[in-house]
Amino acid sequence: MKEVWVIIQRHLNKLRWTVLTLIFSMLILLPFLHLYQTYEAAHAYDLLSPTEKSISDTMEWISKPFVHDPEVDLNNLKGTTWSGTLFGLKLSDPLAVVGQISAGKMVYWPFLVTALIPIFLTLLFGRFFCGWICPATFIYELNDNLATWLRKAGIPVGRKKLDFRLKYLVLLMGIIISAATGMIAFASMYPPALIGREIYYAIALSGFGSGMVFFLLTMLFDLMVSRRGFCRYVCPGGALYSLLGRFRLFRIKRDVTQCNDCAKCNVVCQFGLDPLRDNFTQECNNCTACIAVCPTDALSFTMSVKDIPNQGAGHLGHEYKRLHNIQDGES
Amino acid sequence: MKRRTFLQGVVGTGLSSLLAENALAARNNTSIRFLRPPGALPEDEFVSRCIRCGKCGETCPNRCIKYFDLENGISSMDTPFIIPREQACILCMKCGDICPTGAIQPVIREMEPILEKVKMGVARVDRNLCLSWQGKTCGVCYRACPLADVAIRIGMLEQPHVLKDCVGCGLCERSCIQIPQAIRIIPDHIRKT
Repeated sequence: MKEVWVIIQRHLNKLRWTVLTLIFSMLILLPFLHLYQTYEAAHAYDLLSPTEKSISDTMEWISKPFVHDPEVDLNNLKGTTWSGTLFGLKLSDPLAVVGQISAGKMVYWPFLVTALIPIFLTLLFGRFFCGWICPATFIYELNDNLATWLRKAGIPVGRKKLDFRLKYLVLLMGIIISAATGMIAFASMYPPALIGREIYYAIALSGFGSGMVFFLLTMLFDLMVSRRGFCRYVCPGGALYSLLGRFRLFRIKRDVTQCNDCAKCNVVCQFGLDPLRDNFTQECNNCTACIAVCPTDALSFTMSVKDIPNQGAGHLGHEYKRLHNIQDGES
Repeated sequence: MKRRTFLQGVVGTGLSSLLAENALAARNNTSIRFLRPPGALPEDEFVSRCIRCGKCGETCPNRCIKYFDLENGISSMDTPFIIPREQACILCMKCGDICPTGAIQPVIREMEPILEKVKMGVARVDRNLCLSWQGKTCGVCYRACPLADVAIRIGMLEQPHVLKDCVGCGLCERSCIQIPQAIRIIPDHIRKT
């Protein structure tokens, strides 16, 4: 049984990539479905241009197995990860609620309720949204792979370390600006909200808006200044999730008796954390890349509300053997 | 000027302009004539309620709801708007149902609730441009109006008279055959009452 669990955890990263890809492709699909829905609502198939006809046909082919009456049934699936409707279940980003409360200086209860499920999951899993759901993460991780290739090709990429508390300052400033100006400042600079919106603009409306420029700048920031720099140092949503997930129940733990100090986990961690010294803290987004890369299966999920203190050198590594005067070959 | 006084001045003006109400007054001074979706709250409240999720546009079957970029100021960035001459609202009230924050209030699609809660603007006829008022019988705006005889009435030679119950959906402006349009919606947020 334990073996099965270990194998499952080793493949969680693939599951995560599947989820990220699914969500991102949904963001692309939904605007097309919206177009198809409006064509259906207009009852004017013959008047559509050839491009619109091909969109309509493709979307009909895709949605036919699931949808009885596209004009009505497609209303069940709307929105982005910022705020979405799934078959009557409304889900919103907690950051949207925070921004709305600070901008409107009032609490709109029906809206607050829509954020309860994400908040509950965050209390259990910490910053899981950043690793498992966020559509911007999908792009940023690919961007990080690009950075790795650039590095291999000899082009320098930025790997600076800043202070991770910067993003809490951004969150605080965002709340203050929202309260002072009466507009939700986060909405225009929070990548997951922005990317969903921009994809919708590009497909259903005239084209990318100026939000896309900001998004490209954040990608450039990641390439030139710091690895996944925006998520780690600027993103106000990440800050909020980190705070909510401070005492999360599920966290990754290093089994010190299995660890051989190979430090692959530190290299693969895009958030620049230090799994080798048990330094996950609230920044960890549970992306499970370190579990997948670990050659000795030393890392695994565990239930604990506290950060695990440094357990010292791994028992299979040279450092531990040197400290305890164990010769090679002994176990 | 000493550096300290200069810095104090900069910080002081910055803070006061941030916190004072004139930060609010500085918005929406552009000349764009747009409508908010039906059931939207008054302009200031709307901007502070709207989380820019884009679901109203995504659910609009008529595709009349579009989104601002930066052309109407940074405070209304990504908020929904309707330009009635391009595509007018058909009062289907789906955007209010899907709006998560109540920035667009849900309104039942019946005559009384719509007359009571929807206030996008009021139509106004330019009698110098209007064909009917110039003696060429037209009456297109009356036929396009979803609230005919409640919001608009026609007199002799199909001359349109806008009544006070007009909700400002913009279908009359959309349908006007005169170029430029002889009937147009004066949005609620720029109308002097």
